[in-house]
Amino acid sequence: MSTDGPASAEALREPALPALDPVIHAQPRLRVIVALSALADGDRVSFPRLQELAGLTAGNLATHLRRLEDAGYVRVAKSYRRRTPVTWLSLTTAGRLALEEYLAALRALLDSAGQGRHQHDNKAGREPRNGETAP
Amino acid sequence: MSDADARSAPQPPAAGELSPRESLELIRAQQASAARDLQVNPVPILASWGVAWALGFGAFYFASSGARGHFLPLWAAAAILCTFSAVAVAAVVAQLVRRGRGVRGPSRTVAASFGWSWLLALAGVFALNIGLSQHGLPASLAPLLWPGSSSVVVGVLYLAGGLLFADRVQYGLGAWMLAVGAGSVLAGWPANFAVLALAGGGGFLAAALCTVMRTRARAER
Repeated sequence: MSTDGPASAEALREPALPALDPVIHAQPRLRVIVALSALADGDRVSFPRLQELAGLTAGNLATHLRRLEDAGYVRVAKSYRRRTPVTWLSLTTAGRLALEEYLAALRALLDSAGQGRHQHDNKAGREPRNGETAP
Repeated sequence: MSDADARSAPQPPAAGELSPRESLELIRAQQASAARDLQVNPVPILASWGVAWALGFGAFYFASSGARGHFLPLWAAAAILCTFSAVAVAAVVAQLVRRGRGVRGPSRTVAASFGWSWLLALAGVFALNIGLSQHGLPASLAPLLWPGSSSVVVGVLYLAGGLLFADRVQYGLGAWMLAVGAGSVLAGWPANFAVLALAGGGGFLAAALCTVMRTRARAER
C-alpha cells in the first residue's frame, strides 16, 4: 500500500482501509465462526454444543446462524436421533475463506495504523496505537 | 465451560461494534477456548498412567520374593496395579466423552478407531502370552513376559498416536516405552519391575510435564 508516513495516515485512512466483512464483523457471529473453525476438517457440531462453545443463548445463536447460513458461510444439516431432531453445524469453504480474509483485513488495518512505530508486536502495540488513532 | 466463557468474554463497548484490535483479541480468545474445549487433553491421561505404572509395578517389585525390601503380598500388588489402571482408563474415557460431546465426523471416527486399536492390540498380545504359557513357557518367565510385551505394545501405539495427532511428545514416549519394555526383560526378574516403575512410570510423567510446558509456551506466543 502507498501510505507514505504517519503524517498522511489520517488523510489516507478512508481509502486505505480494507473493508471488513459485515457478516463476520459482529461479536456473536465472530464467536460462532471462530468456534466452528476450531473443528477438525469435515467435522460438524450440534446446536447445543455450539451454544456452549460460542457462549451464546439458544435464541441468539439461532438468529446469527440464520444470517451466517444466508451468507453461505455455515452449513446447517438436520438429522433425527430417536425421533428428536438434531441440528448439525459446520463451516463451509466460503466461510473458512471469509474468516481468513477478515483476519487478513484486520491485520492490514492494524499494520497500517501502527506503521513506523511498531513492528508486529501485537501485545505491546495496543496502548500507544489507540492514543495515536483517537482524534 | 464457565471457565472458557470467562476467559473468552472481553466485553465490547457497543454490542457488535468492535475495533480491529478488539476483534483480533476476541478471535484469539475464542480460538483458544474452542481448542481447549474440543481437543483431548493428554495431560490427565499421561499423568494417571504414569502414577499407575509407578505405583503398580513398584508394588510388584516389593511383592517379589527376590527383591530387597520384600514386604507386600502379591494380591496387594495386583490390586494396586488394577485400581490405578482403572483410574487411568476412566481418565481416558472422561476426556473422549467430554471433548467429543455433540461432535460428529472424521475426527470422531479416527478417535474411536484409535481407541479400539488399544483394545485389539492388548487383547492380541495377552492371547499370545496365554498361548505361550499353555505350550510350556516356564511360569518363572511370566513376570518378565507380560509387562514387557505390554510395554512394547503400548510403545507401538504411542508411536501411532504421535503420527495420528502430529504429537512429538507422544511419539517420543512411544519410542521410550519400546526401550522400557525391552530393557525390563533384559534386566531380569525382579529388577524388571523397578525398570517398569521408574523408567515406564517416569516416562509417562515426563511426557505429561512436556505437554504442559508445550501448552504454556504456545499460549504465550
